[in-house]
Amino acid sequence: MVLMNRMYHVLFTIATVLSVAFSIEIPEEFQKSNHSNNWAVLVDTSRFWFNYRHVANVLSIYRSVKRLGIPDSQIILMISDDMACNPRNPRPATIFNNAHEQINVYGDDVEVDYRGYEVRTKKPFYIYCILLAYNEIFFIIDTCQASSMYEKFYSPNILATASSLVGEDSLSHHVDSAIGVYIIDRYTYYVLQFLENVHPNSKRTMSEFLAVCPKSACLSTVGVRRDLFKRDPDKVPITDFFGSVRPVIITTDPIDILDTPKRKKSLSKLNKTKSPVKREYLPQFPMHLVPNTKTG
Amino acid sequence: MDASPIGCGRVLPSWVYSSVSLPYDKISSFDTLSHSITTELTVLANDEATAAEIISQIENAFKDSDVTKLKITKSLISKQLLSTLDAVADEHEAVEEVGAVYDLTKHNTFYVVQRKPLFQDTWLAGDRIMFFRDAKASNTVAEALKHVVYQTSVVEGARSEAADAARQTRFPPGAGYHIVLSVAHPRPDALKVDLDAGDAVEDYIGSFVDELSVLHNFTLKSQWLHLLDFDFQAKEVKDTSDWGRHFAVRQDRLHLLLTKLEERTATHVSELPTINLALYAVPCERAPLVIYDSDGKKVASHVQAFMSPKWGGVVLGGPSEADCRDANPVWKPNVRVIMGTFISQLRKLLGITDAVHVNGAHLEPLRSVTPRQWEIDNLLRIRTLEQLTSAERTLQSLAQLLGEISNIVINDEVGASINSAVESIQRASELMARGDLLQAYNMSQSAFLAAETAFMEPSLLALLYFPDDQKYAIYIPLFLPIMFPVVLSLKNLLLWFRGKPIHKEKTE
Repeated sequence: MVLMNRMYHVLFTIATVLSVAFSIEIPEEFQKSNHSNNWAVLVDTSRFWFNYRHVANVLSIYRSVKRLGIPDSQIILMISDDMACNPRNPRPATIFNNAHEQINVYGDDVEVDYRGYEVRTKKPFYIYCILLAYNEIFFIIDTCQASSMYEKFYSPNILATASSLVGEDSLSHHVDSAIGVYIIDRYTYYVLQFLENVHPNSKRTMSEFLAVCPKSACLSTVGVRRDLFKRDPDKVPITDFFGSVRPVIITTDPIDILDTPKRKKSLSKLNKTKSPVKREYLPQFPMHLVPNTKTG
Repeated sequence: MDASPIGCGRVLPSWVYSSVSLPYDKISSFDTLSHSITTELTVLANDEATAAEIISQIENAFKDSDVTKLKITKSLISKQLLSTLDAVADEHEAVEEVGAVYDLTKHNTFYVVQRKPLFQDTWLAGDRIMFFRDAKASNTVAEALKHVVYQTSVVEGARSEAADAARQTRFPPGAGYHIVLSVAHPRPDALKVDLDAGDAVEDYIGSFVDELSVLHNFTLKSQWLHLLDFDFQAKEVKDTSDWGRHFAVRQDRLHLLLTKLEERTATHVSELPTINLALYAVPCERAPLVIYDSDGKKVASHVQAFMSPKWGGVVLGGPSEADCRDANPVWKPNVRVIMGTFISQLRKLLGITDAVHVNGAHLEPLRSVTPRQWEIDNLLRIRTLEQLTSAERTLQSLAQLLGEISNIVINDEVGASINSAVESIQRASELMARGDLLQAYNMSQSAFLAAETAFMEPSLLALLYFPDDQKYAIYIPLFLPIMFPVVLSLKNLLLWFRGKPIHKEKTE
């Protein structure tokens, strides 16, 4: 499952975010109903302090997919700017997605795969890999005119949703007066509210996810594109894209080893004994330079 | 393959590169389902009739499998060998006697030898030899060869499009793997674990992977992960053991432990794919942990362990009740049991499948880290086919992609990779047909690696975002001024071609 969140800043009084979310699942590995090899790519290409909320958006999704079981090795997180360590951040090393500042989405184990300028340069390679290897993609984009991003799709098995239609702006949710900037966007806010109540074994479906932000809440129309997707979103569990359950096989046939083996060619040990000591500690006080006190 | 005369490729359209000629016809003619491997089988019997009966049964059993082509040689056991074989009481000694006459160390060979004093129909251990009792055992011989020694269904699965159970479990083919043993120790303050993880990896895992050195390179590492705590959400259950209790862990919780371990294992330090092995030291207050399977039943095994396909294996170990009674508890893990479990998991992760039981066929249980010789041969066959078919499919998808997306650039390096992959594929299938398994494996591996390199080459994308309107925007300003004199001279050119004197000359 890949989430791609790419953000441009056009107007800074109105939140203009472009966040794309993909979700791919590599085929063949396991049975079709069992999405066990989900990948997430989360991309945020927007920079500068006033775009704080864009990083909060992407990190919130990161937190959710990680909580639902996608391991870090299968999440590609790209963030263009480092908001947590921005000198204007009054709460250094934190990023909050709510003015109550209850959830620090920066957490203590966020693994950012690509930072800064790399985001723009590495991006096509991932898109390319995704386009070649996917089984199904769920594409989420949160930005102004967002639906323009999926209108040109023609590949099969893609379910796409966007925070606004062409001609509309996507709006931000609220300001944290302590931090001084808009802290999250409307669409992502309601998506998160929904995802926080999803658990690895919950039975929610994709169509519930697609209806998560009605116009009354988002102020923009959430666009959905279903025609490329073969399954019925009513029947697809949300964990097909947002979760990952790695299969576990219980081992019941340990080998009963008779003799303790000894490795014949123990190269690593030979090397260990040969390696010279490069550095050593000298005595803290240079006693060897002091004239011998006993004789002197 | 010719080098493009213009070096800078960023703004040039892809047709500039069309001088790299690709072997499209060869790529489209690949037939992944037609590959087969020739393998040598020698039948040694006491008399002609028995040999003929055995061979006809074997041929019958392998009639429907086109993936393993047996080259059967028939021979009678010499009188001298026959008398020694009858004299020795133990089968292992008999193997040695046969080994003194025939070469059992050669890859891709197998011997089926008659031995009258057997208790079962057939007897098989770690060497490339199977004993059978008499002509009546012919059916068992054929079945054991098909399902145990050659495992034709697994080998067939290696070339098929859809992955079978074995392929879902084993790691994808590769030149090498990085094996890391992580000892997760959640309470170093409350429990001392007396284990030399480095030595254990070196001796047990090292001896195991040395046997597979014809297939892959391995790097081994071990590490301690202190204070890595995981909430198993285990329920305390009273029982009659020394502890008077055990903690029940549901199977569906276990995958979360993998995620937790991954946070700290730092497996990305190696470029090779990593096989994770983890020993989780359960602290006294939560010992012993017992896994309950999806049906809610206790796992019937003396080791609590599980593995995850294409990831690795985990063993949950912990101190005994006596260890924990001490004020400063020390746990000395039983290295042999733990490593035996890891080896069992590693075998499956690397592609050695456990044989099904065939009635009447005796298979000596494995009692050492060393894999059986014929298992290695079979693994070579599986990996050769897998790499070959994967390389072919990769090249076919690439060719298809080039047909669909005209903006993809094939530069010289990619062209060379594709050509070398195609060449290696052809050579590998020749070697397979000839029965030279080791060379075929190496050739299929270079085909696989070359095809992957070509497919994953980032330079393919250089012009992926170069839409048509931009082409006009760039080329019209560039070529239009050059076109004016060309267009204006067209009339003169036409005249010149028709042989008519040009106006200017006429006036002179």
